[in-house]
Amino acid sequence: MSHAVIIDKAVKRYGDFQAVNGISLTIKPGEFFTLLGPSGCGKTTLLRMIAGFNTVDGGEIRFDDSVINNVPAHKRDIGMVFQNYAIFPHLNVTDNVAYGLKARKVPNAEIGPRVMEALKMVQIDHLATRKPNELSGGQQQRVALARAFVIEPSVLLMDEPLSNLDAKLRVQMRTTIKKLQRRLGITTVYVTHDQEEALAISDRIAVMKEGNIMQVGAPEEIYRKPANPFVANFIGVSNFIDCDVNASGGKAEVTIEGKYHISMPANQAYQGAAILSARPEQLFLSDKGIPGVITLALFLGDFVQYEIRLENDQVIELNEYTKDTDSTRAVGENVFVDFNPRQVSLYKKDSQEVLSC
Amino acid sequence: MTAKTNKIRAFQGGASIKPGGVYWMRYVIPALAFYVVFMAYPMIDSVRLSLYSGTAGTREFVGLANYVRLFTDEVVSKRFWNAFGNNWVFFAWHMLLQNALGILFAAILTNRTMRGRQFYQTLIFIPCTIAVLVTGYLFKLMMNPVWAGTTLKAAGLGFLVRPWLGDRSTALTCVSLVSVWQWVGIPTMMFVAAFQGIDDDLIEAASIEGATPWQQFTLIRIPLIVPVIGMVAIMTFVSNFNAFDVVFSMETLDGAPDYTTDLIGTLFYRYGIAGQHPVGIPEPGVGAAISTSIFFMLLCGVIPVLRTTQGKE
Repeated sequence: MSHAVIIDKAVKRYGDFQAVNGISLTIKPGEFFTLLGPSGCGKTTLLRMIAGFNTVDGGEIRFDDSVINNVPAHKRDIGMVFQNYAIFPHLNVTDNVAYGLKARKVPNAEIGPRVMEALKMVQIDHLATRKPNELSGGQQQRVALARAFVIEPSVLLMDEPLSNLDAKLRVQMRTTIKKLQRRLGITTVYVTHDQEEALAISDRIAVMKEGNIMQVGAPEEIYRKPANPFVANFIGVSNFIDCDVNASGGKAEVTIEGKYHISMPANQAYQGAAILSARPEQLFLSDKGIPGVITLALFLGDFVQYEIRLENDQVIELNEYTKDTDSTRAVGENVFVDFNPRQVSLYKKDSQEVLSC
Repeated sequence: MTAKTNKIRAFQGGASIKPGGVYWMRYVIPALAFYVVFMAYPMIDSVRLSLYSGTAGTREFVGLANYVRLFTDEVVSKRFWNAFGNNWVFFAWHMLLQNALGILFAAILTNRTMRGRQFYQTLIFIPCTIAVLVTGYLFKLMMNPVWAGTTLKAAGLGFLVRPWLGDRSTALTCVSLVSVWQWVGIPTMMFVAAFQGIDDDLIEAASIEGATPWQQFTLIRIPLIVPVIGMVAIMTFVSNFNAFDVVFSMETLDGAPDYTTDLIGTLFYRYGIAGQHPVGIPEPGVGAAISTSIFFMLLCGVIPVLRTTQGKE
C-alpha cells in the first residue's frame, strides 16, 4: 500500500539559516519523484525531514491524510537507501536484509522466503551468507536496495544512492532501480545532483535551489520548457543571450543586439529587457540571424561543437550534427546563428520570470 | 668493501632479500630491546626467583618447594585461596557494575539530544585522576561511624551509621564499590569513544527499518562495540587482579577484618616484600611463586576473551 506524500509549506531552520524555505509538493502514490539540485540546495534536508531524521520547523508533511511531523522515524513505515549504503557491518547479507522484518516482528517462517525473494530481485541471492566487507560497492548497493524493498514500505527514500558507483555500474543500477520501483509500485522520493540520472529515472522532478523549488515537472517538460534561467542552465547546457522584447497579444517581438528581429509566442504582455535561452542543439548556422565569428570547432564524431563569439563579445556554444552538413566550418569564419522560435525560452531580465510558452 | 656491497645489494631488492631474512630485524631492535630489558627479563627472573628460598645473599635453590608450600601448607594455601576468592568477588563487582555503568553513561552521553556532554564526562572522569590512597582514606573516614556518625545522624541518615569497613559481611563490598566509583570513568571514556565511532547512518538505517531505540541499542550499537567491550573486560580483569592500593588504604595490609578484604596484591606484598606478622621476614620466593601462579591463571582468563571478542579483520 503506497501513500501519497504531501509536503505543505515545510520549513527547516538551522539558527538564522533557512535550509528549506516553505516548500509545498504533492507526490502521488506510486510515483517516482526526484529532488534535483546543486549541493546545498536543501534536497537532502527535505528528504531527511520526510524520513524523520530532521525536525519539521514549520508547515507539515503528510502521508495521505495523516500528519507525520512528530512520528518517530521507526514508526513511519519507510524504506531508505543511503549514499554510503549503511550496511550493518556485523551482520551478513541475509541478516542485513532480514533486520527490518525482525524489527517489525514478522513471523520467523515468513522472514526466510521474503529475504530470499528480495535478494533474487536484486540478483545477489548467491551472496546470502557473505559479510559486508567481502562485497564490492555495487553488491553492497544491491544489499541496501533489497533491505529497503523487503519491508514493503509505503514510501521509499533514496539519498544519492548511485553516487559512489563507477559510471557504467551507475547506468546499470538506475535501470534496475527504475524497474523494481515500477514493479512494486512504491512511492519513491529520490535525491540526486546528477541531472542526467534524474531525467532518466523520474516520473517527475522538482528542481531546487537555496531551499526553494524552482520548477516541478516531467523530465521532458523541465528540459524543453525550463521555468527560469536557473533550471535552463542546471538541466543540460543553455546559452543566455540578452535581448529586447515587445510582447502583446500572445506574440513577442524580440530584438537581439539591435540587429536580428524575430517573433515568438508569448504568455503575457511585456516590454523591456529579456534573456533568450537556447540550448546548443537548438541553435544552427544559417544565412540570417545573429552575426558572430567561429572561435573554436571541435569535431566530436556525431556532432561538431562550435564556440562562436558574438559582436558583444559574448561566447555561445552551438552543436551542429554531422548528418546535417557536409563539412566543418573553419575557425575565423563569419557566420549567422539562428534558431526555431518555438523551441527556445524567453525570460524577463529582472524577475527571471518566463515569457515564452 | 664486502659489508658495504652486501648492504647495498640487500636494498636493491630482487633475489637478495629473502622472505624471512634478518633485514627487518634492525627496525624491531629498539622496541625489542626495551621490551626485553624492562618487561620480559623481570618476568622471567620472577619465575626463576620462585625456585629459590631466602633473600639476596642467602639465596638457595629449592626447586618447586615454594609452590608445594603455597598449595599444600595449611596456613599459606588457606590465605592464597581466600585472597583468590576475594579477588574474584572484587573483579565481579567491577565487571558487572562498573562496566555496565560505563556503557549506560556512555549511551547517555552520546545521545544526540544530550546537552553538556563535556561537563558530565569530566565529572565522571575526575575521580580517576585522584590518587587511590587519597580516595581510600577519605572513604575510610566517611564510613567510620565515629567520625561521620554525628553528621549522618544530624542529617536524618542514622541508619547509615554502621562499621561498614569493620564488618566481615560488608567490608569487601564497600572496598569494591569505592574502587568502582573511582574508576568508572575509564570504561565510560572508552565506550563513549566506541559509540562515537559508529556511523550515524547505521543508526538511521536501523530506525528506518523500524527498530525501536532499544532494538537499535541491543542489535546495532552493542554488537558494533564488542571489540571494545572485550578490551575493557580484559583491562578490568588484569587491573583488578593487580589491585592493591585501595585495600591498603582502607583496610591495611592484612585485608582486615579477618582477611575478608585480602587480595592477591596484598597477600603477595605481605609474603614477598613486607614479611608476615609477627616475624616480619619477607620470603621473595613465596611471593614470586604467588605472582607466577597468578600470571598463568590470568593468561587462562585473557586468551579466550581475546579470541572471542577481537575480530580477525
